[in-house]
Amino acid sequence: MMGTVTGRRITMGAEKSYSRRIGGLWRQLLESRKFVFGFTIVMVISLLGIVGPFVTPDPLKYNWSERGLPPLTGGHLLGTTAPWGQDVFAQLCTGIRNSLFVGILSGSLGTLIAVLLGAIGAYKGGIIDEICNFVTNIVMVFPLYPALLILASAVGREGRSIFLVALLIALTSWPWAARTIRSQVLSLKEREFVNLARMSGMRSREIVVEEVLPNMLAYITMVFVLLAGGGMLAETGISLLGVGPLPQYNITLGSMLYNCMNNSVASWRNLWWWYIPPGIVLTLLLSAIFIMHAGMDEIFNPRLRRA
Amino acid sequence: MTELFSKYCFILGSRKQVNYLVYIRQNNGNCVNGLADRGILLKRWLKVYICVIFPFCGVSHLRNPFANPFARFVLKKAVFYGIVAFVAVTFVFFIPRLMPGNPIDRLIPRQTATPGVDWQKIRENMLSYYGFDRPLLEQYISFWGQILRGDLGITVTILPGKSVAEIVAWKLPFTLALALPILIISFLLGNWIGAKAAYMGGKLSDLIYFISVFSNRLPSFWLGMVLVYIFAVRLGIFPPYGWITAEIIPGWNFATFQSILWHYCLPFISLFIVYLGGWATGMRSMVVHEMDSGYVRYAEALGFRRKKVQSYTQRNAILPQFTGLNLYLSALIGETTVIEAVFGWPGVGDLMYRAVVSGPDYPLIFGSFLVIMVVVIFGNFLIDILYGLVDPRIRIGGRL
Repeated sequence: MMGTVTGRRITMGAEKSYSRRIGGLWRQLLESRKFVFGFTIVMVISLLGIVGPFVTPDPLKYNWSERGLPPLTGGHLLGTTAPWGQDVFAQLCTGIRNSLFVGILSGSLGTLIAVLLGAIGAYKGGIIDEICNFVTNIVMVFPLYPALLILASAVGREGRSIFLVALLIALTSWPWAARTIRSQVLSLKEREFVNLARMSGMRSREIVVEEVLPNMLAYITMVFVLLAGGGMLAETGISLLGVGPLPQYNITLGSMLYNCMNNSVASWRNLWWWYIPPGIVLTLLLSAIFIMHAGMDEIFNPRLRRA
Repeated sequence: MTELFSKYCFILGSRKQVNYLVYIRQNNGNCVNGLADRGILLKRWLKVYICVIFPFCGVSHLRNPFANPFARFVLKKAVFYGIVAFVAVTFVFFIPRLMPGNPIDRLIPRQTATPGVDWQKIRENMLSYYGFDRPLLEQYISFWGQILRGDLGITVTILPGKSVAEIVAWKLPFTLALALPILIISFLLGNWIGAKAAYMGGKLSDLIYFISVFSNRLPSFWLGMVLVYIFAVRLGIFPPYGWITAEIIPGWNFATFQSILWHYCLPFISLFIVYLGGWATGMRSMVVHEMDSGYVRYAEALGFRRKKVQSYTQRNAILPQFTGLNLYLSALIGETTVIEAVFGWPGVGDLMYRAVVSGPDYPLIFGSFLVIMVVVIFGNFLIDILYGLVDPRIRIGGRL
């Protein structure tokens, strides 16, 4: 396949292979202090979520004799929950893992939808672009939490797994990303190498996959990172509304807050060690993602680099 | 005087109208025939039109009522939001019907334990009441009829038998009282802070930027829980939950007002901080971007005063912020839902939360969603019109 087409392909000196391109991007990124700072925080928290559940006790295990212990007592790093005496640190680690899962899944699905609608519409132009843009604008008007609440409540209690909640978040959170990608493709489309590829007789699908998307890789990564962070936040929000993954079986950062609020109004009592940590982790993670994003923006947006 | 008046009337209107006016005066100003009165009003409007509007505006807008680019812009937006409303209603109609299993079966199982009740009969009654046994298209048309009549159905689990529209109408002012001031004040103040931070430069500017980024990343509902812990539990300054203290009988008096305001503070602050940070971040980067552009360099080279240049950059930087207002409105109404649930502020969001928790009360959930959508659509439409007024490119239809 490669051999037959190579003859009519004219490259503008850009690297073609995805893996080499990613390697180049990575080396560029490591030069940015902002990116490294944010990335380190994200990695530390992810490590807590990946390794933590293996070394901590079962987060769902009831322990009636140790209810509502403050931090650093009885061998519990962050104390225990009030009505059941579960270990908060173990819950936190499992919660980070599950929330990260929701974030990554909803982020990648949302990015996929955004790339499909944004890139194809902008590249094809005409009526297809109109339709894609129209769909994006309509979904953008829908407020996120009420729409998620409707979808998740219609699914019913039994069906609400972590996977499904991530899917629903992906279905509702992509419009702004599609708009960003659309404007990027619109500006890329007019560049010379795309025109050259078109003149050399490549099909439009090939041009999108081999010429446009590799140049969009940086933007797509940025969109993915923001969507993943937004997905985690959205999961916490709808868990707090009682339509997240079932809080009895799935520990997420949101379901920890939900249990605090509903099962033993923890925020009214002195049980700060139960609901402060999930929020701090979430805030840190979102801030780190934003800083990472800002670092990436400075590198990939030459206009900002100069300033 | 009378003569002058009738002469003036004669110039403006027909003889018949003058006769009528004389007739009214003879009857001590009492109008007897209401219908004729209305006819006269219409005619008077026509006169005003011919004497005032026609000479100044000509007939161009008669041939093409939307020759004015701004009118065309408004019409386009109105059509778009009409379609959004249509999509929202269709969404609400199809979601429970396309899910596996009958929604009625999910509505009733809570009560099935009561002995001596024929649940099969009740199920059939509910099926025919909600019309699930009819063909889908017929259901859809009658659903639209209901919506247009303002009938959102009746609740099932909370206050059974009460009309959803009535409950939501009582709850809606609370949501608006929370969302609208936050949107407007955070927009004004946040943009001001962002612009100031951008002009300042240096360490302080970076500090402000960092704080605003951080505050915008705070999950508002968690911030609310923390604020409750600090200000309600520890310090006891603000009440932690609800909208009015139980000792007060609600009425139009100062004590009620004071109590509501007291309960209003914490939800307001927890959302306000988050949105303030968002506007400040956006405005700072927009102004920094504008300060780097050619016209600012040129103005500086010409020796414009600093204030003048700043006013130019601000005017350009605020436009993207206005387009952000749409997104922020949708996001804010959404987050209000969660905040209301956390603080028990009795808005539409709290209602939805209760409807979900007390065994899904579908009519209430979907009714509240439709009302929220109406608010969002109407707000978006207003913001778009505002944007059209602010952005000169839309006012003149893109001709520069």
